[in-house]
Amino acid sequence: MSKGNRLYRAAASLAVVAVVGAGLTACGSGSGGGSGSNGPLVIGASISLTGDFSDSGKAVERGYQLWANTVNAHGGILGRQVKLDIVDDASSPTQVVTNYQNLINKDHVDLTFGPFSTLLTVPAAQVAHRYGYAFLAPAGGGPQVFAQKLDNFFFVQPAPVVDAGEAFANFILGLPAAQRPRTAAYAELDDPFSAPVAENIRQRFEAAGIKTVYKQVYPSETADLSPVMAALAATKPDVIVGGTQSEDAYAQVKALVQLKYNPKFMFQANGANAPVDFPNNVGTSNTSGIIGSADWFPGSTASGSAAFTAAYIKAYGGNANQVDDNSAEAYSVGQLVQDVAQKTGKIDNATLISSLHSGRWPTLLGNLSWDDTGAPKGQYNLVQWQNGKLVPIYPASSAKAKPIVPKPNWGQ
Amino acid sequence: MHALIQGIILGILTAGVYALMASGQTLIFGIMKVVNLAQGAMVIFAAYLSYQLFASFGLDPFLAIPITTVVMFALGVAVEWCFLRPLRREDKAELSLLVTFAVALLLEGVMTVVWSTSVRSINTSYANSSWTIAGYQITLVRLWAFLLSLVALGVLYFILQRTGFGRAVRASVQNPESARLLGVRSEAISALGFGLGSATAAAAGSVYGLLYPFNSGSHYDLISRLLSIVLLGGLGSIGGAVIGAVIVSLSSAIVAATISPVWSEMTFFVVLLLVLIIRPRGLFGVASRGAI
Repeated sequence: MSKGNRLYRAAASLAVVAVVGAGLTACGSGSGGGSGSNGPLVIGASISLTGDFSDSGKAVERGYQLWANTVNAHGGILGRQVKLDIVDDASSPTQVVTNYQNLINKDHVDLTFGPFSTLLTVPAAQVAHRYGYAFLAPAGGGPQVFAQKLDNFFFVQPAPVVDAGEAFANFILGLPAAQRPRTAAYAELDDPFSAPVAENIRQRFEAAGIKTVYKQVYPSETADLSPVMAALAATKPDVIVGGTQSEDAYAQVKALVQLKYNPKFMFQANGANAPVDFPNNVGTSNTSGIIGSADWFPGSTASGSAAFTAAYIKAYGGNANQVDDNSAEAYSVGQLVQDVAQKTGKIDNATLISSLHSGRWPTLLGNLSWDDTGAPKGQYNLVQWQNGKLVPIYPASSAKAKPIVPKPNWGQ
Repeated sequence: MHALIQGIILGILTAGVYALMASGQTLIFGIMKVVNLAQGAMVIFAAYLSYQLFASFGLDPFLAIPITTVVMFALGVAVEWCFLRPLRREDKAELSLLVTFAVALLLEGVMTVVWSTSVRSINTSYANSSWTIAGYQITLVRLWAFLLSLVALGVLYFILQRTGFGRAVRASVQNPESARLLGVRSEAISALGFGLGSATAAAAGSVYGLLYPFNSGSHYDLISRLLSIVLLGGLGSIGGAVIGAVIVSLSSAIVAATISPVWSEMTFFVVLLLVLIIRPRGLFGVASRGAI
């Protein structure tokens, strides 16, 4: 065989492989799903069960699982039982990509649910978009996610995460002038979720004349936050804004208690809104007056909230005050799928995407709607630790208690 | 200036915690020429043991140290016996890196299964207490950790210098062949030495759990810092580990407090690099055997 023929055959073979490969990929993409329309509805999700985000990741898993169990107990979705295919991404943005590629191309799941954190949602949503999958994410609402402008993406919370800071800024700037802080300090984790929340607050505060006396960004591998908080405390700020996740949120509080510096106001982007882990790590007596943001809270009258709370306590124990709002957000993702199926009589990715882009959809977190980038159009609640419990304090329409201003001293 | 002085206080006190951890690491290297990459995981394991004893029985983490020390000693002996002893003598230094890293992963897996990956803290009534002296805060746990490290290192010194076991260890380190001819059982010395090095993780773990939130993955950040400390001080030198801990802890605390936390983690690597360029054996490393 001549050299030309050999090259021709090799090229032809490659072309055949490429065509077959593309065909196989197409079979597994979009509204595909190897389980067929009568089999179980397989939903794939990559969750941080280990690594930095594992606290919140496991709360997300509990929410997904609780929703699946609840819906299956009521006959499933359009007669199909829900089967979750959950894999661990170890909080790694590399692993999360591999996981979703495997879930879509190897496991041929029918639908995908999102992971935890903006860091992981950014690459994960791209994978889902590439294969035409709707991507409903209970966490991961940092600016980078919406900047991708993916039409398949829906952030299942009331508002983009930077608006969590917006609510705190509105609350502070709405206080009577005598109560309003004059100086502010910002300690921010180098993370696409945490830092933007704090930065949004800083811009609002500076525009309103609240002077920035300290601002530092620390990397996630910072073992000891005490020196950072010592420098922050030395500036004696009225308000401390923590652009935090979880471990660093606890470390910030512990360091401030040890340094005996008690600000008039303290807000944390994440961590302080963990109803069980936060008091366990910093001590319940040190939680008083700390403010966080939340979209769900015990006693909420939003759609299905009472049933969710009862089911959660039955499945995982504890009481309503110990329900993690990450679980409520994950449960809401499932609620949306259920709602779309009931309304349209269909359950596939194209229907989910087109349906969720119009109208308002009832969930545990209230009625949600999204813009073209998947950014929700609602607003967050502020919650504050009072007597060992997280209670909503802002806005007035959802407040269950008056804000405690200024923050009580540590240990009180 | 206030932030700088507070940073220096924090740095010096924190150095005690790192000196405790690093002394075990350097002891093991001195005796066996094994770089124990599992030392960080052992510290976290000991922190979990302290946490569990406190959560289940209300046992104070400082009072729990004798119990956790025994457990960690036994764990160290078992690791040496199961994983390191089978290695061929000529390959031991290189293969032990892989083996001890595998042990770290194994321990991480066990901790994840037993305690999950949730972040934990040991919250005693005094965990966040501090004394105010001239406007500066002296964290109680850090101060006790510092004193504890002095005691632990004193005990370690006593064992190595004043006991038959210590003499056998030093003899094995200085001249293993002669020691063997004189009846020193080198295998037993290695096992006990590894156990002793692991046992130092017990006190360090209790203190670590009191000071910082931790989970099973926390050992990754720890081990890089511990390796830097022992390299800086000189592999095999306990005194060097203490000095290394002070330099590392102090430099990163000062930089974090006065410049930026972004540069603080990098600072000690720069110091380490400079020391290794000028003095490749580390500050107190010696060319010949017998550094302990």
